[in-house]
Amino acid sequence: MNSLSIDRVPLPPKDAEVLTTACAYCTVACGYKVYRWPVGREGGPAADQNVFGVDFPTGAPLTAWVSPSQHNIAQHQGRPHHVVIVPDFATEVVNKGGAHSIRGGTLAQKVYNPNTPTRDRLLYPMIRVAGQLQAVSWDLALDVMAAVSKHVLAKHGEHAWGMKTYSYEFFENTYAISKLVNLSIGTPVYAPHDKPQNAEDAAGLDDAGVNSFAACYEDWGMCDVAFLSGVDPYETKTVLFTEWMMRGDNPNKAMIFVTPHKTMGVAYGEKNGGLWLPIIPGTDTVLHLALARIIVENGWQDQEFIDKWVANQWEIEAGYGRGTRNTRWQWRTTWGTFQSDWKDFQKFIMKEEVAQLDNAARITGLDPELIKRAAEMIAKPRADGSRPKTSFMLEKGNYWSNNYMNTASLASLGLICGAGNRPGRVISRGGGHQRGGASAAGGKGWLSPEKYPGRRKKALNVDRWVMDGNVRFMWTVGLTWYPAMLASQELASRVGELTRSNPHQPRNLNRDHLIETLINRVESGGMVLVNSDIYPVDPLNTQHADIVLPAAGWGEDDFTRCNSERRLRLYAKIADAPGQAKPDWWAIAEFGKRMGFDGYDWKDSNQVFEEASRFQRGGVLSYHALTTKAKKDGKRAHEALRAYGTEGIQTPIRVVDGQLVGTKRLHDPTNDWGEVEDVTVNQKWLHAFDTHSGKALLLKTPWSFVGWIDFYEAIKPRSEKGEIWVTNGRVNETWQSGFDDLRKPYLAKRWPWPAIVIHPDDAKPQGIESGDLVQIHNDEVFVQTGEPIGVLEKDLTFSELRKNGHIKVTQGQFVAVAIVSDEIRPGVAQAGFNFPQSMGNSVCHAVVDPVSGNYRYKLGRGVLTKIGESPYKTDFTAMSLKPRPII
Amino acid sequence: MSHRSDSPCNGSGFVSRRQFLIFGGTGLAVVGTLAASQTALAQAAQLVMSRYPEKRIATLKDLAAKKPLTFHYPNDTVENVLVMLGEPAGGGIGPGRDIVAFNTVCPHMGGYIGPDGYKADHNVLGPCPLHLTTFDLTKHGMVVSGHATESLPQIVLEERAGAIYAVGVMGLFYGYSANPVA
Repeated sequence: MNSLSIDRVPLPPKDAEVLTTACAYCTVACGYKVYRWPVGREGGPAADQNVFGVDFPTGAPLTAWVSPSQHNIAQHQGRPHHVVIVPDFATEVVNKGGAHSIRGGTLAQKVYNPNTPTRDRLLYPMIRVAGQLQAVSWDLALDVMAAVSKHVLAKHGEHAWGMKTYSYEFFENTYAISKLVNLSIGTPVYAPHDKPQNAEDAAGLDDAGVNSFAACYEDWGMCDVAFLSGVDPYETKTVLFTEWMMRGDNPNKAMIFVTPHKTMGVAYGEKNGGLWLPIIPGTDTVLHLALARIIVENGWQDQEFIDKWVANQWEIEAGYGRGTRNTRWQWRTTWGTFQSDWKDFQKFIMKEEVAQLDNAARITGLDPELIKRAAEMIAKPRADGSRPKTSFMLEKGNYWSNNYMNTASLASLGLICGAGNRPGRVISRGGGHQRGGASAAGGKGWLSPEKYPGRRKKALNVDRWVMDGNVRFMWTVGLTWYPAMLASQELASRVGELTRSNPHQPRNLNRDHLIETLINRVESGGMVLVNSDIYPVDPLNTQHADIVLPAAGWGEDDFTRCNSERRLRLYAKIADAPGQAKPDWWAIAEFGKRMGFDGYDWKDSNQVFEEASRFQRGGVLSYHALTTKAKKDGKRAHEALRAYGTEGIQTPIRVVDGQLVGTKRLHDPTNDWGEVEDVTVNQKWLHAFDTHSGKALLLKTPWSFVGWIDFYEAIKPRSEKGEIWVTNGRVNETWQSGFDDLRKPYLAKRWPWPAIVIHPDDAKPQGIESGDLVQIHNDEVFVQTGEPIGVLEKDLTFSELRKNGHIKVTQGQFVAVAIVSDEIRPGVAQAGFNFPQSMGNSVCHAVVDPVSGNYRYKLGRGVLTKIGESPYKTDFTAMSLKPRPII
Repeated sequence: MSHRSDSPCNGSGFVSRRQFLIFGGTGLAVVGTLAASQTALAQAAQLVMSRYPEKRIATLKDLAAKKPLTFHYPNDTVENVLVMLGEPAGGGIGPGRDIVAFNTVCPHMGGYIGPDGYKADHNVLGPCPLHLTTFDLTKHGMVVSGHATESLPQIVLEERAGAIYAVGVMGLFYGYSANPVA
């Protein structure tokens, strides 16, 4: 089905069932409507014959319309039904008027239908016997998992039992995972999908007192200037860009893009009064410092805002800045390298040599005139004294390259421009995944063997802990693991050694034999690996996992989560889950019961949602007021949320005059609600910054900081080898690893394989043309080993680690299809991201930022060599090789 | 317009007189294989004869490279663009296999792109004025960058004795639940 030759589509009849949901993919989470009706009939083109009440052809743009990719046949209650999944054309929030991306627009193709490429969904649990996965019952799989887990915990302790799971795939599942990890097992060996350890993403932002998701979409619509660091929202947050940034209250806003890759959003911004700053990867901190210096030199700072909202030395020291418990490295905000206030910051910025324009231009590779122009645009007051409303967005190009310093320096830049807590003047992440993490209790980070210099525990690096052979039982849920992490090939090889290459491999499905063999594996120093997913993931569950559990996902149970403006919606069950696939909360519960743990008796996902509510009540994603009101009204909490449809309600939810009210923006002083009602929790960060004083903290970020500069010098491309920077990122038409997209016929044709975008200056000497297959090879990939304890400031820096034998040198490569285009800065190539068969992260270094514990994901390097031609060079049916920014 | 009770997956979809022009529906059935879709022939085997009219729309002599012309097909209200790309293209006819035709209403949300949206340097159509989607005219109107969930509907062409005929449509026009056939 869904052939490009389709020239008609069935319309939902007037009596089709209507369900509401939100998109399964990016952080924006557009609202969608699902129309479902039994196979055997369909609606007609006249307005009184279809559910839209519209005459077809509609004869105008922006009308209700169903594209062929928006229709499918699904099983509902065991019977075939038509499903049409289209954006909510009537919605006034998020995707106003039915805007949608190519990803969400093809959601119907995600629905399981054995006549489509979704036919390879995992349908039943499997156990690997003699190297092959064999179908088994849930009972057998879970019994074996529980028996081996009990052995591991009794003999080797909780440090030998680990999990790595998605952080976002609905509150019901993440709460169950958290309950198991934090309360029942009580292990520090846990990390979310996108990180090797369980800690904050944008620590510098947090230290400034700015919540990463403080903004709402209106802010991006109403600003005059948007400073976009390491992100093109068009590529990764489509509708936020097309509905709010291209339009919104101020469609004439100027956008400044800081990224080495000119994609369509960048081209649009440049054409409409904005700037493209094609920066050398990893040098954003220098740009931020240079911009701050120009602002200070010219007196363009927002003094009124600074005086009111930036903490002075006394306010910092009286309250320990952001608090000692929250700032691990050196108590980051209180003394040492980073602490500052406005007076001190001015001195710092004038003394910092890299902030001087010529130096900054040299290090960042940017035209000094562009830097000056950017400073004027974000900060220079107009002739009438009024200031431009400037907002600052950051994403992975910023915070996954020089993690702490890029985020801290951007926060400081934003604060002196008067941004952070006002309409149209925000500092915020754009967002990657949606926000579906719910915690059952504080983590067991204090059991981590790692420690920062000073006093604080450091979250355990789970990848390294696995590679060092310390984990005996590992359960991964809904992730690719290797391609998402760094030195990907090294990680994958090591997990293969610990599992498939171990001599203890089951030879039959007898329960006792399975348990005995896998316990022998554990005792020999190997690892037992369980993976839960909806599809085969190569090599994680196709080649390595001993036990594979089939999951039911989006549209196969009622689930809930928030988007990046904290908007909570119910994601309705649409169709039967295939085969014996079960939601992850159910698998966790069944495992928990077999382990003898209490509190896993949930009958449905709503019960998990209601139980989780109380534990989130003081948080940014709190929906406790909703749950409490539903209980009073005699309703299930899921049903109360369902009534909010695609509009949902923004968390934290509070009670005003007995009614539920959402929260638009965090830190906004107009959120000071006076007397609080009912179960509303009134946190300081709702109406002030998230610090002890409620004032934001300015942070210094000296470029020569020992935690950064020696690493940066070591990982720069080596010109004598012919290396260039190899960074990586998403494209608009593919979501993450492409797990759904490669099974959606249209998207599989668009991107059957990841590309690498190469500037002609870099391609020509290698004889590389668009459509060629290229190997990208880095023969010196650094991988940290061991869990060194930090005592002195320098202990965890790259040079010290190397000196003390904690850096292993490996190599990595991957193959991609070349797109040769001047849309990329010379000396930098942009690879795809997280694709299991083309692991761009193989050429990046698995050594963390010693301040935050996060990897520097975007800083790979390699030599590019043509290895042949891809079929797409001459095939008219798949993979366009055209440049992206054609405008 | 008739309303059949079967769904498009059951084969009501169309059709070209030239099976070699038709390309895949199921894409890559096996994830992770680098080979291009091998399903085109299997798809073609499912096709039936066109229900679209044949219409003479131009002659080879009318066309200059990279100069788009507009024409109406399959009825008098649907406007399309005919262009000689100067490089071989999927579904291309003529001596260079480079003459193609497409409907230019964006199959994302109905923005009108038209002949002025043709970018001769790249043989791309777009960006759509509404949300900036671009389409690759050498690859059957596939999205290059953007949001449309289908390629631009391609008008199937034939050339006989120097005349160019429109003989069918691949893809559903924006705003329609079924393409008009006359």
